[in-house]
Amino acid sequence: MERLYNDFFGCFGGKYVAEILRTPLDELKHEWLEAMKSKDFKGELDILLTEFAGRPTPLMYAENATKAAGGAKIYIKLEGLANTGAHKINNVLGQALLAKRMGKSRIIAETGAGQHGFATAAVCAKLGLECRVYMGEIDIKRQRPNVFWMELFGAEVEPVRGGAGTLKDAVNEALRDWSSSFETTHYLLGSALGPSPYPDMVREFQSVVGREVECEIKRRDLKVEALIACVGGGSNAIGFFYPFLNKKAPRLIGVEAGGTGNDPGEHASRMSGEGRPGIVHGYKSLFLLDDDGQVGSTHSISAGLDYPGIGPQLAYLGQTKRIEFTKISDSEALDAVQLFSKKEGIIFALESAHAGAEAIKFAESLSPEKSIIVNMSGRGDKDLFILAGILDKNRWYSFLEEEVKGNAG
Amino acid sequence: MPDRIMAHMVAFYPDRESSIEVARALIDGGCNYLEVQFPFSDPTADGAYIQKACMRALEKGFKVHLGFSLISRIRKCSSIPIFIMGYANTVFFHGVEIFLKKCVFSKVQGLIIPDLPPGYDEGIFALGKKAGLKIIPVIAPSIKDDRLDEVMSRDPEYVYAVLRKGITGAYTEIGEDNISFLKKVGAYGVKILAGFGISEKKQVRSLSPHVHASVVGTAFIKEIMNNHRLNPYKVITGKMRGLL
Ligand SMILES: Cc1ncc(COP(=O)(O)O)c(C=O)c1O
Repeated sequence: MERLYNDFFGCFGGKYVAEILRTPLDELKHEWLEAMKSKDFKGELDILLTEFAGRPTPLMYAENATKAAGGAKIYIKLEGLANTGAHKINNVLGQALLAKRMGKSRIIAETGAGQHGFATAAVCAKLGLECRVYMGEIDIKRQRPNVFWMELFGAEVEPVRGGAGTLKDAVNEALRDWSSSFETTHYLLGSALGPSPYPDMVREFQSVVGREVECEIKRRDLKVEALIACVGGGSNAIGFFYPFLNKKAPRLIGVEAGGTGNDPGEHASRMSGEGRPGIVHGYKSLFLLDDDGQVGSTHSISAGLDYPGIGPQLAYLGQTKRIEFTKISDSEALDAVQLFSKKEGIIFALESAHAGAEAIKFAESLSPEKSIIVNMSGRGDKDLFILAGILDKNRWYSFLEEEVKGNAG
Repeated sequence: MPDRIMAHMVAFYPDRESSIEVARALIDGGCNYLEVQFPFSDPTADGAYIQKACMRALEKGFKVHLGFSLISRIRKCSSIPIFIMGYANTVFFHGVEIFLKKCVFSKVQGLIIPDLPPGYDEGIFALGKKAGLKIIPVIAPSIKDDRLDEVMSRDPEYVYAVLRKGITGAYTEIGEDNISFLKKVGAYGVKILAGFGISEKKQVRSLSPHVHASVVGTAFIKEIMNNHRLNPYKVITGKMRGLL
């Protein structure tokens, strides 16, 4: 699967949209494929990735975590050190430059954890584009710091009240906006899902993560047993795994949100849970659906993994067994945030901490001459309120009360 | 051409029994076709009113098999042509062939599934034809000529022409642009059902010479929402008669 544009991955993917969105999607596909041939476009993107996003991001040997796990060497790809705090910036820069090339002056985006919205708002500020971000009202509450930053960048954050108030509803609203605004507006979708060409395009823009990792593996001559990434829609995972998809090794492990339990509404595990074939948000893939085909409710402590669908290429690679899927619960993810903070001095985003938790488990089962690499797709600054509210509840709440009274200084 | 109306309603909105009343009211009020929307949790082509109606209908216990029973009940009191409108997942999840069989069994004339456009249709156009069902493609004014040719090559008896960009709901002023789009489509010799933002007789009048029927949807839902204390039958027959 070396082609840029695939549309379908096995039976998954496609462009299941109302005719009104076909025109802008066809235009997007055409312009994207042209841009990928353009030296100017690539040159401009490379400069922004280096100067603005801070690439390449480090690959760090996590010596203390390795000792704590007592098995294989754990390496961490520190994507969270990219500007705006997550891998999302890679895709945003690519699509925003493309939007400019297409003469669009306005950008819309959906966001869950707020990291994609954050990156989009920052890049729009940098490139002089108007920006509106749709965000579910539940997500606005749990990722409030990112709302503030987006607005500081000059973006308009539009709360989405319908449905579950999470990422899926933000996608619905962005699609609705786009169906009336596509002439001036680009929909900057934040994960490797949606109607084609998004899954292909987002993968390409995120593949920089995997290419950097591949270089470092060669340079340091690492014997890598597995790559581990968390999977919401799948953009950090597919970008990280990309150079290895057509090889037999290393093992590729995708980690989904195990939430609080196995019942419907308690998790967001489509591959290791009970995802069923469906067509939602313009693509065919595996979704969490109820017995009548309605989109089911989901839960994860991490807003970015709290989504009922999975990108079509990942669903396909799960079927072919090239990617193995597993899940990590809310509390295991919380433990991992603490472990990596204490042992390594880095704060994993709650999303990425799912991969971190799996890395610890996985390393334990391997011998010390082997290595594994985990993608820390984002850093946890945004999770301050969630983490402090759980880990240091009493002192944090009294601080907040003081803050509201104006006594905090 | 005479003023014809395809009236849209959401199955189980405001609840199961009241939606039967709504159907009766639309039929008694003089509509020519009934478009029954099967609610879906994520209706991306719909505006705020139909979204709310769909959420409410799901809360009121809508299930696909109950939707078909509802249609059979409407069928018992009228022979009006009924079309089901829904989203791709509803058809795909239940299995295209099974869904089509159920349509035939409940004497549904055809289907309108906007996110199963020709080419990404899961075989619904071919299978529909075999089953004697009319699968109605949805087209929009932004459609390119070669794409319009491609859609029309499926040889549909009806097309659903969306009159503007965007989603259902907001008012559409019928202007020159709409008319020239409808003329272009009409040249293919299909029956045009035109909708999105039609709520007044004036609009129906301006469309009539160029279409087979005008589609009215949100306007009825709005009436029900704004008059929820009143008997929906009265409210809807009134609104329906006022359009003709
Ligand atoms: C840090 C981080 N990692 C992962 C994700 C999940 O998205 P994806 O699976 O597309 O990488 C998000 C989404 O918000 C995120 O913010």
